[in-house]
Order: sequence, then C-alpha cells, then structure tokens
Amino acid sequence: MKPASWAVRVVTSVALATLAAFGLTAAQVAVEAPVALASNPVGYIRLAHFSPNTPAVDVYLYSFGNPSAQLVLHHVSYGTVSPFEPVSAGEYTVAMRDAGAAPGSKPVLSTAVSIAAGHAYTVAGVGPAAGIRLEVISDELTTPPGKALVRIIQASMQQDVVTVTVGGHELVTNLKFANATPFIAVAPGTWSVKATGSTESVTATIALAAGTIHTIVVLDEPGKLALDNLLDAAGSNVAPAGGPQAGFGGTAPRPGATLVPWAAATIAGLAISVSGTVMLMRRRRPALHAHRPH
Amino acid sequence: MRIDRTSKRGHQHASPVRVIRRPRSAFAAVAGLLVIGVGVAGLYSAGNTGRPATPLGRAPLAASPRGHWAVAPQATARVVPRPIGLVIPAIGVRTKLIRLGRTASGSLQVPANVAVAGWYIGSPRPGGTGSAVIAGHIDSVSGPGVFFRLRELRPGDLVYVERSHGPLAVFRVTAVHTFRKSKFPTAAVYGPVPSAQLRLITCGGTFDPATGHYLSNVVVFAVLQ
Repeated sequence: MKPASWAVRVVTSVALATLAAFGLTAAQVAVEAPVALASNPVGYIRLAHFSPNTPAVDVYLYSFGNPSAQLVLHHVSYGTVSPFEPVSAGEYTVAMRDAGAAPGSKPVLSTAVSIAAGHAYTVAGVGPAAGIRLEVISDELTTPPGKALVRIIQASMQQDVVTVTVGGHELVTNLKFANATPFIAVAPGTWSVKATGSTESVTATIALAAGTIHTIVVLDEPGKLALDNLLDAAGSNVAPAGGPQAGFGGTAPRPGATLVPWAAATIAGLAISVSGTVMLMRRRRPALHAHRPH
Repeated sequence: MRIDRTSKRGHQHASPVRVIRRPRSAFAAVAGLLVIGVGVAGLYSAGNTGRPATPLGRAPLAASPRGHWAVAPQATARVVPRPIGLVIPAIGVRTKLIRLGRTASGSLQVPANVAVAGWYIGSPRPGGTGSAVIAGHIDSVSGPGVFFRLRELRPGDLVYVERSHGPLAVFRVTAVHTFRKSKFPTAAVYGPVPSAQLRLITCGGTFDPATGHYLSNVVVFAVLQ
C-alpha cells in the first residue's frame, strides 16, 4: 500500500500546484472586474444665523431620538455660517438656545430636518428677533455643464427689499427680507455683483467658476449693506472625458493567451505522470506478494 | 521481531531492481513531473504581474511631512494656496506636483514624467472647498510609476499635500475603487462637493497591448482630515 499512498500524495500535490497556478491567473483577472461605487450614505448639513437683531446663539444638532448632541456650535452671531458637516443620512433635530444657556434647557427654537444621502442642507435662523424661525434650505450639488450656480439669501432688515444684479443683469428683483431665490445658472466669470435696497447699495467683485455653487447673502452692517460670498460646493470647471491613460504597461501581466500552452503542458504532464505511476504500482503488487512467505 | 526486520531490509534491497525492470513506466512518471514543472513555471512567469503579490506591509515608507494642518475651509469663498508637493507615507510616495490640463481629445492630461504626479488645474485647489484631482502613472514601459502602489491604499491612510504657502492640507482616505474606463464615474470624481476632498487617479486592471492602455482606473477618494 505504501507506493499507492505515495502516488496519491504526488498526484494530489501536483493537482494543487496546477490549481494554484490557475488560481493566480484567476485572481489577476478578478482585479479587472468593475466595482460599483458604494452608495455614499453621507449627507451634509450646515447651520447659519441670518436674523439681524437676534443676539448670538448656541446651535445644537441632534440625531433624532438621541438626547446627546452630535454637534454644538457656540456663540453663533448674525451673519455666521458654519462649514458643511458630513453626517449619516437620517432624521435630525436642530435646536437654538441663547448663547451660554445650559445644554439641557428648553431651546428657544427647534426644527426637524431629514437628511438624504448625497444631499446638502442649510438650517438657518431667519426673520426678525420677534418672529425668528428656523428654516431648512435645500442646497444643490450639481451644476449644468460649463455653468456656475448662484442663489441670493436676503438677510438685510435695514433694506428689507433688494434687487440684485450680476454683471449688470438682474438676477432677482425686489427680494424681500428673510427670503431666498432658487439657484440660477450663470455663465462663468469674474462679475460685479450689486445689491440695491431703497436707500443703500453694495457692490462686490465675485469670481464664479464653472462647476461651482455659490450662495450670496445680503447682510446688514452698521449703517450699510454687505455681501457674503459663500462657496457652497465646487468641482472641476470642465470634467475631462473618461478616465485618464496613466500607464504604459511595464508592470502589467503579459496577455492572457500565452497562458494556454503552459496550462496544456501542466495538464499533459499530470496525465503522463499519473499514468506512469499507476503502471508502476500495478507491476509492483505481485512482487510484494512474492516476498510475503519469507 | 528480528526476523521481520530482516525481511523488510530484504524488501528494500530488492526494490531498485524492480524499478529498473520497468524503465518505461518509471520514465513516464518522472518525465511527467518534469513536464508539470515546466508548465507550472510557464504559468507562473506568464501570469506574473511584476507587482508584489501581497502588500509590502503597512509600515510607513515615507516620513510624514512636518507642519501645521489646514482646518476645514470657511463657508465664505477665499483664495487657496497652490499645491506643490504630495506625500503618501503608507505607499512611499513623495513627489512634486506639476500642473495638468486636458489633452486635445478632452481627456485628463497626465505627466510626461512617470515619476511625478500632477494636479488638474480645472479642479479646486487641495484644501479648499471642492474635489481636488491629482493624477499619476502606475508604470512606464519598463517599470513602476509614481502611483504604482496607489491601489494598496486603505481607508484611514493619510495623504499630505504641500502648498505654496500656509499649512499642509492633510486628507484621510475614505475609499479605493477600480473602475472600467468605459464606466468611469465622472460625476463622483469631478462633480461638486460641499467640503474639502481629494481624488487620486491612476491606471489599473488589465493592460491591453493592442491599444497600449490599461482597461481600468484606480481612484482613491479622500476627505480633509
């Protein structure tokens, strides 16, 4: 039986080696398989204070049903806008308390906000102090090809109605305090942006690149108007076509076709070896029996 | 017991004689093994990518640059410094960054020198709001390029962008994907994002010798740390 088990071992190990060789090739082919971009479960939220006569506040972000805040912004004063915060998609509550108020105290204002993956939201305190409310404003994360997107938020109470022009073209006429325009597609360029109220106006030079999204906020400053140019989101001004050609193949495997003769040789060798071994075993058996009588 | 041992010894002495008695079978068994050896060696060398079969370990291969780290960009738009260098300790990358535009056919230009990476001037500057794009070669015609090991990056690895002035822009890898060029995710790579992010791009997958190009791209997604 010994020669038989020896032969089994040889055949098994040769078979394993062959499988391993094929496995190596299969693994390399697998690398090429397309991988779907995992759907990103992240949404974005930012918090803002656009109520001119409301003192600074503390703003809390809670994941719905969780009493401990996920994010706290302290001493947020009029005109302040936080950067966008990436958060898991889901239901949230935004609460506003007087600056320095105890975290457990009853909030002055609160609102629910539903955050979808791949979307962005601005939650802003708007209106006069006497009638302040928390508004959830949807943001945009795509632009038409070759265009910039612009939106105006009117947060001036001194000039409660403004008209805004971009490069001399009217973007919005008579926009009332505590209101916002939808996003408007604009040709890219460096533009003179002008906001005109009943008694005051303000002009700013603002670069609007293709593939970028801006919110321009009209704000009160003591005795005058001001403009804040928020860069909401930015991508490439022109998306290059397809994927780049960034390799010359010096480290690439040689073409798959050359594997065939080697695989054939391995299989043929396996066949020859197995048949030779089997024949050897067959002829040994009688010899073994012949020795037994000793 | 002694008798048994003697008989066994006799058996061992006899076996070489029997092998010689059946030379063709023995020859077939040995020759078959040789043919298998040649076949497996051929398969291995033909299938050999020249790339490390397993990652070369996770120990840093380039020192992390020293200096202050940039914080998240303010909501208000402002000028961001120019990117001038790239360091990825986990995969031993340390390179200057050149400026890349687009080719006549509209695809992303790649550096003429395979040993350096470049920043796409049509994308936002690294560290500012938006998705900055940096590309480099996986290889030359004869050996590895600057982004040879890009696909070995894993979520959590740090990527340092040195800039003309101001603090380092330090990014954390969130995902590494391989895409067929026919299904390149243009919006996910070049589209607007509301925070400071980075995309690193090179080639990968199967090389097509007929066209001289790889069939896929490796894309690393990262966010400002």
